[in-house]
Amino acid sequence: MDQVRRGIEWLKFKDFISVNELSASRVFLANEGAVTKNNGLPERRLVNAVKEGKNTIAEVLASGVIKNEEVNAAIAGARRNQWIQLVEGKMIATTLAEKQSPEEVFLARLDSEGTDITKLTDEEKRTLDQLKKRPNYIEVKEEKETKISLTDAGRMLLPTLKEEINAERRLTTDLITSGKWKETKFSALDVEAPAPAAYPGRRHPLVDIIEEVKEIFVGLGFEEIDGPMVQSGFWNFDALFTPQDHPAREMQDTFYVSGQKQEIPASNDQIKKISSIHKRGWGREWDAEEAKRMVLRTHTTPVTLQHLAKIKPESGRFFSVGRVFRNEKVSYKHLVEFHQVEGVATAPNASLRDLMGLQKEFYAKMGIKKIKFWPTFFPYTEPSLQSMVYNEKLEKWVELFGMGIFRPEVTQPLGIKNPVLAWGGGLERIAMLRFGLDDVRELYSNRLAWLRSVPRCQL
Amino acid sequence: MPVVNITNDRLKKFVPGVKVDKVLDILPFVALDIEGVDSNVIRVEYNPNRPDFSSDYGIARALRGLLGIETGMPKFKVASKSGQAIRVDPAVKKIRPCIVALVAKNGRLDDETIKQLIAMQEDLHNGVGRRRKKASIGIHNLDAISFPIIYKAAGSDYSFVPLGESSSMTIGQILKESEIGKQYGHILDKFDRYPVIVDSAGTTLSFPPIINGDITKVDTKCRNLFVEVTATDQKAAEDVLAIIAVTLQDAGFEIRTVSIGNREMPQMRPNQIAADINYINGILGLDLDARQMIMCLKKSRLDAKTRGSKIICTIPRYRTDITHSIDIAEEVAIGYGIYNLEPTFPASTTAGQKNLLSTYFEAIRETMTGLGMLESLNFSLTSKEVQYDSFGIKASDMLSVDGSKSIEHEILRESLIPSLLQSLSRNVHEEYPQRLFEIGKTFRKNGEIAESWNVAAVVAHGEAGYTEIKSAIQALLKTCFGKDATTKAASSPFFMSGRCAEITVEGKTVGMIGEVTPPALERFKLRVPVAGFEINLSALTGA
Repeated sequence: MDQVRRGIEWLKFKDFISVNELSASRVFLANEGAVTKNNGLPERRLVNAVKEGKNTIAEVLASGVIKNEEVNAAIAGARRNQWIQLVEGKMIATTLAEKQSPEEVFLARLDSEGTDITKLTDEEKRTLDQLKKRPNYIEVKEEKETKISLTDAGRMLLPTLKEEINAERRLTTDLITSGKWKETKFSALDVEAPAPAAYPGRRHPLVDIIEEVKEIFVGLGFEEIDGPMVQSGFWNFDALFTPQDHPAREMQDTFYVSGQKQEIPASNDQIKKISSIHKRGWGREWDAEEAKRMVLRTHTTPVTLQHLAKIKPESGRFFSVGRVFRNEKVSYKHLVEFHQVEGVATAPNASLRDLMGLQKEFYAKMGIKKIKFWPTFFPYTEPSLQSMVYNEKLEKWVELFGMGIFRPEVTQPLGIKNPVLAWGGGLERIAMLRFGLDDVRELYSNRLAWLRSVPRCQL
Repeated sequence: MPVVNITNDRLKKFVPGVKVDKVLDILPFVALDIEGVDSNVIRVEYNPNRPDFSSDYGIARALRGLLGIETGMPKFKVASKSGQAIRVDPAVKKIRPCIVALVAKNGRLDDETIKQLIAMQEDLHNGVGRRRKKASIGIHNLDAISFPIIYKAAGSDYSFVPLGESSSMTIGQILKESEIGKQYGHILDKFDRYPVIVDSAGTTLSFPPIINGDITKVDTKCRNLFVEVTATDQKAAEDVLAIIAVTLQDAGFEIRTVSIGNREMPQMRPNQIAADINYINGILGLDLDARQMIMCLKKSRLDAKTRGSKIICTIPRYRTDITHSIDIAEEVAIGYGIYNLEPTFPASTTAGQKNLLSTYFEAIRETMTGLGMLESLNFSLTSKEVQYDSFGIKASDMLSVDGSKSIEHEILRESLIPSLLQSLSRNVHEEYPQRLFEIGKTFRKNGEIAESWNVAAVVAHGEAGYTEIKSAIQALLKTCFGKDATTKAASSPFFMSGRCAEITVEGKTVGMIGEVTPPALERFKLRVPVAGFEINLSALTGA
């Protein structure tokens, strides 16, 4: 049906047919009516019983040909048609009883196709009104009729279509297996007709980028690591030499989980060494309680650091892509939660130039060729650099990943011997550039219209 | 990040003969970001580790170094002792114990210099001073002061004329009524006595860290200044004073010391750090000799000499950021010019790999998208309303965060299903069927915080129901893990009773499945039936 409708639309669009929609009422037999058509109207059954010699209502009812609830209708009908007379309290059939009543005639002509109400004579209409009074005999349906006729343009096509009139539209299993396809002509389809849209399942566009980044890391020899999103202040801040009165540790910037503390955030040795480096470096007391408070990690570095502290590698390359949190006001450029990409490489002779080289290669694999480096500051790396990449679409330099070498105050207390090159940054920024977004919130809106519209491959 | 404005007129004096474009090129290479440029002003952002960049004088020092106009440590000279003293009343020890000060003589202040000094003061207050809590600065007209000065504690009824007012106010009034008092009063909340700086004539110089007195106000007519810094931390006080001292000297003042206790302030003795030449070369990936390295350091405005295999580096007092030989390495790099560093690519000796979880996620994504589902990404931080109230759940053990700026992000989610319903809710005007899934972290309070990776899916359309979603979970578990899912009747606030089950794998419960309750559909403004499941991947895989 759907295909027919589409076909009609298409032909109409091409102006080969004209379409006229008419509405008409048709009369159909309803359930009771259909039963009656077979068994006869109650008055007919009554008169037949009378002819067989059952002269009283009681006798007729006893014979079972009509039911109690039909008695009134049967008597009224038989009288209206003058089929019976009452003589001394007994019913007698008249000669008129041989004649069909208008209702019987009407019922007989109704079939499953129904009858167009406009084609009835006035008398038939009156009969119809009578029948309508009987419950469930008659149904009147409003029907829409679509009349399709060929236009002149359509008619001109006919000769070329003649051949196809006997052609099959569908190649069926039966045609294939029976071999009948050999003798069958198949009609040509309108291959230019539009088909309905299909929406495949797909990964989230941001996940596409995450996967791309992971592949690049793996290609550069990095091993993936992962860890909890809720971290103690010890690993999120203290181990990274962030002083306890640093503004980043305040509630305005960082999410603390209400009332949650980790009693033993690290080994005694780690706590001892890190607290003493804080006292020396920042010249102030170090509060062990502050280090126990649980924060939604503000970067993935605490995960990296715990991994390095655990395995203390001579050399190695590790990466993670994970969520991080900042207590920000959500806006077109800020989210409270986003993805951070982080890579670290350690080796006995790892250098700042190596870090720049890794960076350059990483960007090249993302299709970014023009980059430059500026010095900058991060609390736990020294030297620290900021990478700037040239965006062809925006025609300007944009800030991307930050990087640096972990400070000795970070590595030494944890027994990490060699320089650790580290870089990282937000992934959403790359996604915005890639997808041409002005509002970072779109990435988490889950608007189907957007999700379905983002091309998966960059041409 | 804090911002400094540099006018072109002043720039011409700082770096004579250098074009503005050249300055704009070079600024990023002394770690300064250009925030904006207009016809007469460059707005420069600096990093919080460099409070000495809080005025254009500080930025000029670095620029002149890298441009080679003036290299090595800037000369700083204390002209003489001022002979003046501050007496400290022991009563302030418990309130705001530290005070340091200096006298600056024979300078000239024009409007732009005053602007720079005020901006510097504000930045130092916010940065090193931790919004005045740790340290704050008062700059006064020296000629309005009669020495000696006393730094003492006073009650809330103590009164003086605060800066910008015409009549006297009590400390209590200042804290309650003035804007500045309301802004910073919390620093003194727990005290009933307040710090004041008063001269021998009884003139109130300052009520730190809130406001100065009006009588010592500085304007362009002032030739001589008195600067005090009060603090809770002696080092912070001295760091701030050193930056002010060098800045005022650059502005043309002679700096004279003030005696506090038995010490003359400011203390400007440079620090020395020895750094191994090989270590620095190793860190930077360079092969500089001692002479080249010293040249780089001088361009970074430090002094240096060699001793054996080491460089002995002299660091001016105001460079509070240099504490370790690694900091010397960075100064070498900046003096060398970051733009001169060629990247080198170190080949990997190991093969990289993704972790097990990533492998699972990939398989799950492939299966779910194969079932026609669209991946959704939602925040871990959600609202109590979405996560609990919408399902009539009375949450007793939820994990909330302190001080969130938005009620949409106030708790850590325990389940992914509510987020997915929220996603459906945003798409009611889109074509159905809609099928979404998500892989995400969930959080539960279990003594400490238990995190687990969950997978959830929802199907929404006119015919959506239990059978479809059960087929999906069966397919997922079979395809990804070769496991059969069993479903056992259960109840859940998300799902209709009689149409809800636990998902078990080898006897272990790993999740829930069912048809979402009509009240929840109503809450999320959904007009089609929705069926969904959620499984705990960590419980299933142990990963």
